[in-house]
Amino acid sequence: MIVDYTKEISVIDGKPSFADIENVIAAPLDVKPDKKYFIALSITLTMLAIGGISLGLTFYYGIGMWGNNQPVGWAFDITNFVFWIGIGHAGTLISAILFLLRQKWRNGISRFAEGMTIFAVLTAGIFPLIHVGRSWLAGYLFPYPNEHGIWVNFISPLVWDVFAVSTYLTVSLVFWYIGLIPDLATLRDRTTNKIKKLLYSVFSLGWRHSSRHWHHYEMVYLVLAGFATPLVLSVHTIVSFDFATSVLPGWHTTIFPPYFVAGAVFSGFAMVQNVLIIVRKIFNFEHIITVKTLERMNKVMLLTGSMVGYAYGMEFFIAWYSGNPSEQFVFINRAMGPYAWAYWTMVSCNVISPQLFWFKKIRTTIPVMFVIGVFVNVGMWFERFVIIVTSLSRDFLPSSWRMFTPTLVDFGILIGSFGMFFTFLLLFIKTMPVVSISEVKAVIFGAQPKHHHDHGSKEEPETIRSGVNHV
Amino acid sequence: MNNTQDERNRKDPGYPGNNPEVNETDTDGVTGSFDITELSGISRRKFLALLSASTAFAVASCSNYRDKGEIVSYNKKPEEVIPGVANFYASTCTGCHNTCGILIKTREGRPVKVDGNPEHPVNKGKICATGQAGVLNLYDPNRLKNPVRISDGISSKAAWSKADDVIISAMNSTQNSGKHIAVLTHSIQSPGTLKVYNEFKTKYPNARFYSYEVFNEANRNSAWKKSYDSSIVPLIKWDEAEIILSFEGDFLSGEGHSIETIRMFASKRDAFNKVEFSRFYQAEGSMSATGINSDYRFRLRPDQQQEFALALLSELNKKLNNSLSVSNGISLAQAVKKYNLSEKNVNRLVTDLYEKRGRAIVYAGSRLPESMHLIVNALNEVLGNTKLYNQEQFPVSSAQLSTPQEIDELVKNMRDGNVGVLIHVDTNPVYHFPPEYNYAEALKKVPLALSLTEQENETSSVCAYSLPLNHNLESWGDYNTRTGVYSLQQPVINPLYKTRQKEAVFLVWSSGNKNAWKETVYHEYLLNSWEKDIFPKLNSPLEFKTFWFTALENGVVLTSADNQAALPRFKKESLASLAKLNAPDGFVMLFKQNHYLGDGRFANNGWLQELPHPVSKVVWDNYAAVSPATGKELGVKNNDKIEVTINGRRQQLPVFLQPGMADKMIAVELGYGRSKAGDVGTDVGVNVNTLLGKFSDMGIYLYSDVKVQKVKGSYKLVSTQEQHSLDELLVKDLHLTRGIIRQGTYNEFKKNPDFLEKDKREQPTIIKEIEYKGVKWGMGIDLNKCIGCNVCVAGCDVENNIPVVGKDQVDAGRVMQWVRVDRYYSGTPEEPVVYTQPMLCQHCDTAPCENVCPVAATSHSPDGLNQMTYNRCVGTRYCSNNCPYKVRRFNFFNFRDHFADGYYQQEPVELAFNPEVTVRSRGVMEKCTFCIQRIMESRAVAIKENRPLKGSDVQTACQQACPSKAIEFGDVNDPESVVSKYRTHELGYHVLADINTRPNVTYLAKLRNTFPEDKE
Repeated sequence: MIVDYTKEISVIDGKPSFADIENVIAAPLDVKPDKKYFIALSITLTMLAIGGISLGLTFYYGIGMWGNNQPVGWAFDITNFVFWIGIGHAGTLISAILFLLRQKWRNGISRFAEGMTIFAVLTAGIFPLIHVGRSWLAGYLFPYPNEHGIWVNFISPLVWDVFAVSTYLTVSLVFWYIGLIPDLATLRDRTTNKIKKLLYSVFSLGWRHSSRHWHHYEMVYLVLAGFATPLVLSVHTIVSFDFATSVLPGWHTTIFPPYFVAGAVFSGFAMVQNVLIIVRKIFNFEHIITVKTLERMNKVMLLTGSMVGYAYGMEFFIAWYSGNPSEQFVFINRAMGPYAWAYWTMVSCNVISPQLFWFKKIRTTIPVMFVIGVFVNVGMWFERFVIIVTSLSRDFLPSSWRMFTPTLVDFGILIGSFGMFFTFLLLFIKTMPVVSISEVKAVIFGAQPKHHHDHGSKEEPETIRSGVNHV
Repeated sequence: MNNTQDERNRKDPGYPGNNPEVNETDTDGVTGSFDITELSGISRRKFLALLSASTAFAVASCSNYRDKGEIVSYNKKPEEVIPGVANFYASTCTGCHNTCGILIKTREGRPVKVDGNPEHPVNKGKICATGQAGVLNLYDPNRLKNPVRISDGISSKAAWSKADDVIISAMNSTQNSGKHIAVLTHSIQSPGTLKVYNEFKTKYPNARFYSYEVFNEANRNSAWKKSYDSSIVPLIKWDEAEIILSFEGDFLSGEGHSIETIRMFASKRDAFNKVEFSRFYQAEGSMSATGINSDYRFRLRPDQQQEFALALLSELNKKLNNSLSVSNGISLAQAVKKYNLSEKNVNRLVTDLYEKRGRAIVYAGSRLPESMHLIVNALNEVLGNTKLYNQEQFPVSSAQLSTPQEIDELVKNMRDGNVGVLIHVDTNPVYHFPPEYNYAEALKKVPLALSLTEQENETSSVCAYSLPLNHNLESWGDYNTRTGVYSLQQPVINPLYKTRQKEAVFLVWSSGNKNAWKETVYHEYLLNSWEKDIFPKLNSPLEFKTFWFTALENGVVLTSADNQAALPRFKKESLASLAKLNAPDGFVMLFKQNHYLGDGRFANNGWLQELPHPVSKVVWDNYAAVSPATGKELGVKNNDKIEVTINGRRQQLPVFLQPGMADKMIAVELGYGRSKAGDVGTDVGVNVNTLLGKFSDMGIYLYSDVKVQKVKGSYKLVSTQEQHSLDELLVKDLHLTRGIIRQGTYNEFKKNPDFLEKDKREQPTIIKEIEYKGVKWGMGIDLNKCIGCNVCVAGCDVENNIPVVGKDQVDAGRVMQWVRVDRYYSGTPEEPVVYTQPMLCQHCDTAPCENVCPVAATSHSPDGLNQMTYNRCVGTRYCSNNCPYKVRRFNFFNFRDHFADGYYQQEPVELAFNPEVTVRSRGVMEKCTFCIQRIMESRAVAIKENRPLKGSDVQTACQQACPSKAIEFGDVNDPESVVSKYRTHELGYHVLADINTRPNVTYLAKLRNTFPEDKE
């Protein structure tokens, strides 16, 4: 089979009209939520409540309700934090970096991914605040002028974390909102409900779809994309500094920043893929979020998964190459020590399972890719667990080694974090267009009329030429 | 005064009057002209409104003031009390029969810390862990607060007068009926107490006194009697012994006066001063806290030791051409083969004993049978080691302990109804006595049983009256346990409750009049008897009052009575009929003294329960220690349970696989499993007194023919250190390869003192080093002197208000002790080599904890301390994660509230806290501060005295507590200080030097006095 790689494949299936797109995407917002929605919401709220109770116990009695101990000062708390921050990486990557790279296939999934980013970062942001022994004093982590004249310790990576995460959240939120404005205007124009009309009117900031608006909009979007791009790389880099700048064997590693970023994109894509598979089915977006799009995401997962696998291997190599016995011990201990089960869970989920995406059949079969996506998320959670807990539980002095055993409260908070994330997500899909109407409209057939033909050859009407797009 | 002030001001350029710029200004100090339009245009009305509003706000915000109770100043200030300044009083510890001299620190009239009295000639400023933690017993909420009467199982409060009334009349009627009044005490060390008892005996001639100790020297004493026909067993001059051979000896932990022994033993392990090391051989079946400090260890069951010792004796006899007849045993070569001993090491032992005869000592542990002591006496005799017996100073006791036969007779009399009144003086026979006595049953036959006790216990709860006793720190007394040494005891606080001291109670009973009691009754009696009995003998030039107050201040009275005595002639016939120990195929069981709880009487002290076992690091439990091989044979692992049967007596015990144990042997510690010991101590561990027999040839601590079988179920033992199998290749010898423990042999060191130089891996740095001017604090720890006794931990607990976390939290890995003694094994599970290392905050110059704290709660002081600001700490635990030494401790809970339903939050425990040390709240990180409060106190004194602060002004609590003086503290910038000499010492090293944390704790590498050939 000869494939013409110079021709861009259509992002969406079929040739829907602008109105069709609008109707399909806005449909979930027009109808009242059905029973299934409430069942789903009650499940996530129950999970959230479990988390809330667990947190209540923690606040009332102390961090002792968790399994954390001496020497394992961090365990589920920071594992969850890094996990959720990682999930939050796909959104900005899809909406900013792929935007700058003119990857049009992102248009169908960017809104959703951005939403997930915000919810994941919100969920993650809780952990630095609750993991501290005295949460009521967590404000000390922020630099604010105070009567004591004390500032935060600017050389502590945890302070960098505070800046990185809050900046990331702010920029993601602004980026998301800017992208929403044309759609909010569309919804304003569609709705007959007075309250909705008022809200959409307010939040669409007087958008009239005028070309002048579009002109400004595109420029702002481009600037914000440029602004968000380094953040994608910086946030997880800084999160990895929490570990990389320490002296602990297994943490003190220069490979951490790129390795963490790759891992974050990896897990973020897996989560987006998982959720989108469900959403496109329920809301009949199959022709907008096509199997082709999912396949592309799987390819990104294959790439980042391989990078993560490479990092795992490289860590072992460097441990051996460094000649540092403590470092060597940590890695042998990970693979063969008491937490070997966690390590091998991680390796099989993160390294072996994405390799199946080399096969097109697997890349395009939805149930299989869904399962692999779940594996990747499990694996990435375990990656953070392995890094944090195995390194801490057996560090320099054998006299202070101790195993970490999670408690029910630990699991409660983990469940609660999923509850929080999915509750946000459920509320989101019923209040906002989960696919960007305006961006999808830009990639349907005929949306980008051409004036000239570069190759001078006759072009089939279905395909749009690759190369520079005319915005 | 004013003139000089003015003069100084005029010379000072900073003084405003001397500043020309300031002088140019207007009188009110404002430069420039005054413009009324620049004032705010606020109206008078508005101003008043704002003023009233701000006043209202101010008042409102002040109303949040919480009244924390009354603060009442002294109406009439006691002369000696200055608020904020501690007073020290000398007294005597009565925790065991050694009666160490103590120095009690009181703050505003309440005792907060107990340390050894440096003036005391025996313990010389050091006490054991039990003594350190003893101050908590004073404030124990479970103390008996008033007399309690129990009738028909219902206990009710009773008044002393009423109780005395009943008791006196009962004693009178008993006296008239011809029945006995039995008094059961522990050993009597006090001449004053003895006099009181004698007075009681005069008043009630039918009174009979019995005394017992669970851990006694009966076997040693009776053997001595047989060997030398003398009842005075001499002390050993450990500090002169070049070779030590000990059989199952635990002389560094609990046997004899171990605080004194530790000091003497450690003086021969002084690598810092390059003292010639002693060589210490230990033959033992259990893995003892003493055995871990040996240079060579022979793994021998107690029943096998006799054969070995006899073979050794005949071998040495042969070498010495001595005619001492020995009952025919096997030859040494046969013994070596039979018990699979290292022939090389046994030959070395023989050579050492032979060549260094007269400068060596052979010692048998207190729990070994009489026959072993006889052989050891003979060994010392033939080798001429008797020179190391101290002939100047002897242990004395005011009264002999009762023999088991006498106790048996007492119980028989009780059962037969011959005892009318039974008085338990701070004794707990229901718990202590072997079940064969059936003491509890016999007690029911006694018409009136009393218990004088500090806390309700197993015995007091079945007595008609429980009479509360004063704590040690509330009592008067005099003690004489060494010839020429009287140690005085004085109260440092009024009795907290309606308690009396036992002597006072007996004095009231002796008077026959309940109204004879007053607070000072025994004080006056003691004064009187000293003035009449002891003072005249002292030939003191002082008048009695002056003498007495001086004596109280010093805590000790030294008499120069001539105690020189020659050693009696050795009786060869003592070896004629040695009890034959059968060495059966079955199990042998050895009952040992635990390290902190005494005979169980300190079970309710959480600090002691939480002190890790010196070898196994297990806390809050006793256990059946078996060797890993035996464990395999029995099919048990750690935390499994076995059932032990001795002569039909059964008990189930949790198993602990202890490397270094002899096979087919069980060692277990007594003092646990109290069923009525208060909220903390009840049901901690297993009571193994129930396995003991009344008497046997081997003494009551050693049993052969023990049946052992695995039983279902498990029992969680928790320890402060994980237990790794010594075979595990992954974790083997990490302490050596990582530079945590540096070690070598004494010979190596002697030949080449710099032999460790290549291992010192201090790294260069690219960062500009901070210069510390003035005093910079540092610590030195000599691993050769450290014997792993944990007294430093106890001392730190008390000084720094360390909370008790409880067994569950130790299991969760949250023990709070700021200093710990790490124990590492090398070698094999059969022949482990043990290292101990006190580990505390290293106060690193480049501390990894400091730069990761996001809120700057941990920082470095100009005098080189790594400081912790509790108020700023939010509890991220990042500092702890990044600490390579893992010495930081996190308050996962409010442990005082969390432990035993807030037991240590009850009245009056808070009085035990050191007021100079913050009590940390939950969610806060804490760690060793190098006793910053002591540094600040010394600094204040230095400033007051207008002199620079010196490093030697400060002693940390652990340093002060360390019985072997392994810990030194001081100024590392002072080249003359001991710590700076530690730093430059050939053996000095830093733990984990290669991560460049630049610690301020210097360790001296561990040397063993093994033969150089062993290296290969």
